[in-house]
Amino acid sequence: MPSADGASPPADGSSRPLVEFKGIAKTFGATQALRGVSFDIRPGETLGLLGANGAGKSTLIKILAGIHKPTAGQIIVDGQECEFSYPDDARNAGIATVHQNIDDGVVFGMSVAENLLLDEIAKPGNGIFLNRREVMRRARTVQEKLQLRLPLDAPVEDLPPSRRQEVAIARELAKRPKLLILDEPTSTLSEREAEKLFGAVRDLQQRGITILYITHRMSEVDRLCDRAVVLRNGRIVSVHDAPMDRRAIAASILGELVLGTRHESRDGDEVAVEAKGMRSRPDGPLTDFVLRRGEVVGLTGLIGAGKTELLEQISGHRPILSGSITLDGAPFKPKDAGDAMSKGVVMVPEQRALQSIFPGEPLWNHCTVGLMNFFNRFGFMERKREAAFTDEVIKAFQVVAPGNAALIEELSGGNQQKLLVGRWLKQNWRLVILDEPFRGIDIGARGLISRSLREFSTTTPVLVCSSDPEEVIEVADRVLIMVESRIVHQEKSSNLNAEALAGIMSSVDARPSASKAELRVQ
Amino acid sequence: MSTESPSASRPGDAAAGEAATNRSSLETVKGLVYRYGLLAVMLVMIVYFGAAQPFFRTFINSMFILQAASIVAVIGLGCTVSMTVGGFDLSVGSAMSLSIMAAAAAMVIGNMGGVPAILIGIAAGLAVGLLNSFLIVVARIPDLVATLSTLFLISGLTLMGVGGQSVAEGMAFNGETTTGKFSPIFKWLGSGTVFSVPSSVIVAGVIFASVVVLLNYTRWGRAFYAVGGNPVAAAAAGIRVARYRVVAYLISGGLSAIAGLMLAARSNRGDVNVGDPFLLQAVSASLVGYAVLGANRPNAFGTLIGAVFVAVLINGLTMFNFPYYAQNFVQGLLLVVALLMSYTLGPNRR
Repeated sequence: MPSADGASPPADGSSRPLVEFKGIAKTFGATQALRGVSFDIRPGETLGLLGANGAGKSTLIKILAGIHKPTAGQIIVDGQECEFSYPDDARNAGIATVHQNIDDGVVFGMSVAENLLLDEIAKPGNGIFLNRREVMRRARTVQEKLQLRLPLDAPVEDLPPSRRQEVAIARELAKRPKLLILDEPTSTLSEREAEKLFGAVRDLQQRGITILYITHRMSEVDRLCDRAVVLRNGRIVSVHDAPMDRRAIAASILGELVLGTRHESRDGDEVAVEAKGMRSRPDGPLTDFVLRRGEVVGLTGLIGAGKTELLEQISGHRPILSGSITLDGAPFKPKDAGDAMSKGVVMVPEQRALQSIFPGEPLWNHCTVGLMNFFNRFGFMERKREAAFTDEVIKAFQVVAPGNAALIEELSGGNQQKLLVGRWLKQNWRLVILDEPFRGIDIGARGLISRSLREFSTTTPVLVCSSDPEEVIEVADRVLIMVESRIVHQEKSSNLNAEALAGIMSSVDARPSASKAELRVQ
Repeated sequence: MSTESPSASRPGDAAAGEAATNRSSLETVKGLVYRYGLLAVMLVMIVYFGAAQPFFRTFINSMFILQAASIVAVIGLGCTVSMTVGGFDLSVGSAMSLSIMAAAAAMVIGNMGGVPAILIGIAAGLAVGLLNSFLIVVARIPDLVATLSTLFLISGLTLMGVGGQSVAEGMAFNGETTTGKFSPIFKWLGSGTVFSVPSSVIVAGVIFASVVVLLNYTRWGRAFYAVGGNPVAAAAAGIRVARYRVVAYLISGGLSAIAGLMLAARSNRGDVNVGDPFLLQAVSASLVGYAVLGANRPNAFGTLIGAVFVAVLINGLTMFNFPYYAQNFVQGLLLVVALLMSYTLGPNRR
């Protein structure tokens, strides 16, 4: 049952929690990442840690791994209060972390055996020379102890990702940790690879290893975890026991499901974009959809459902895996983002800092960098028109900025986003795609962008991707719901409320792996 | 105490207010040094040299200085363009050597006229640029190591092409005395004048103006800087990143070649690997240029100032009988000072 208090007493007096968090808080400058987090991890259990982006999961793990120091609170491991100043302190206390990015956990150019012994090799006082036979002998001992079957001789880069992940896990296990932290271990794995990793995790569970399992995927919590805690806005908001109530977990992750501003759901006019047989991952299921002029379509689903992967294929940011797209009746197959744009398809990417920001450049440059075709005469840029255009965007989207020549860094994240979205809505396009356009902006700005998108969609189809049900309903006329790489459901937004939508987002691998395999065959 | 309290005007807080003013005036000084420091130092240097050595302030001497600066400026502009796309071209010196040898050999050994020889020289530079872009864009070797290997390859190739000897009129080649001559047009490039301004200064001026226009006023220049600033975002904005990097390295190779021709025309001979030392001078001119007028990025005006700065410095010091063997040290010192200005005093760019 969900309870608001994470620190539940042990089931009986004898089983003392392995790790106890007591009022852990962490502030970075003005932001409060964690606001008093308390919960325990019981020996031998697999505890799921869930939460939306920015909920504080990473901060919490980094504190447990000794990378960050908490601003307040205590960590008690095995009844002893611990203060971790360095990652080594956490390691010595028996906490091992396998980080999200698999390839951070292995060293390329070394064999599997060498990777397994990496920590020993790195330790001072272990001799200067290493002979191959000795390495193999010791790696074999490690492997036997951990009951693994890995190709010790192979270069680690030759292994598939899931096995690389196993090597990284084995390395941590060789240190005989009390607690193993798996940070989104499947986030970069394909479905099949993930299945294999689950097998490995179950092995660990049978051997009584305590695991803190961080994930975005509801199905993993359901299949692997004994308990789950949900983090939101730096607080533990609920604790769940197996069998998991997915709806309750989803609602708890996503937060207050307030009804957004309602609007009528327009039906849309003629079909502008038709996508058939597309996939979001190479071995994923096939998926079809259409977009009409005169409507905003919302694409939603939990993180990891494959939304971004789908969008990036349409906008030319990554090659099309399979299937075909028609744009206003003609086949559309972009070579790259530039090609897609020249054919009238533009995307506002998800990761603002990485994909949209030019450090140290002024606002006007950001406004026109993708529109240079429109702002030059014979190749010479027309600064005055650029400045005027930038002023127009600043005004229309109420961007708080000292002027069009201000550097992009001078703006807050929300105002950067308003500018970066707004710059595209002043031109004619054939399709505009926005990936998580509302991230990090307040409700007012969100309403403003939503209204602009709806207005813009009367002439141009708009596809908005968001994993927040409330946002999707607020902006979209029609909602496509993606679960585990496939669009499973579509619905007029007027027929949906945030809670129902969250339910669909989390529910439907209702038909588990058997039917998934079936879908793949199609 | 809250830093936001609107109490700075109260008498009790006068001291705090003063401290804040001091801090902000320190910031202002830092900003001024950062923007104008290098120009100010150069101005002071010119005034000092001019006052101490009457010959320094003659027209002829200023032309000497500009002539010396023009070659470094032209290669430096090439380096600057490669830096705008986030690259780094270490092969400019060897591209220069190759074009010198190619053009000289075309005239002396191949008996060709000035115009075809110049074209061959430029083509040689472009070929080096093409090789670089192949290694960097297609083979995806990091810029620094790719152009380092090109440096070796090309400088080796240059030596092999002429059997390790310099190319000069009347040289022996394959057992025969060559009869080809350096053509008048080619010689004009080195020693001609227009209204008593050396032709190499005019060529450099034209190239400088073109690069300024290209980088600051055209869409291509905008795209160069976008690629260098954030290649992922540039691609997302529809800029063909690979194409711009290729063009940048072609410009770099081509300008190196032109600089090489200017040098060869001055001495009327093609000495082996004579371009090599220009790599360091050109790169430092570009880097010094970052600090000029607070640009904090590769820019044509800054590079020109960097090149002229070094030329003024060397010219002036030579008049004071400063030992020639200490020139490198002085140039290094200048580079360090300029880098301190742009990196230490400049705004932190993450």
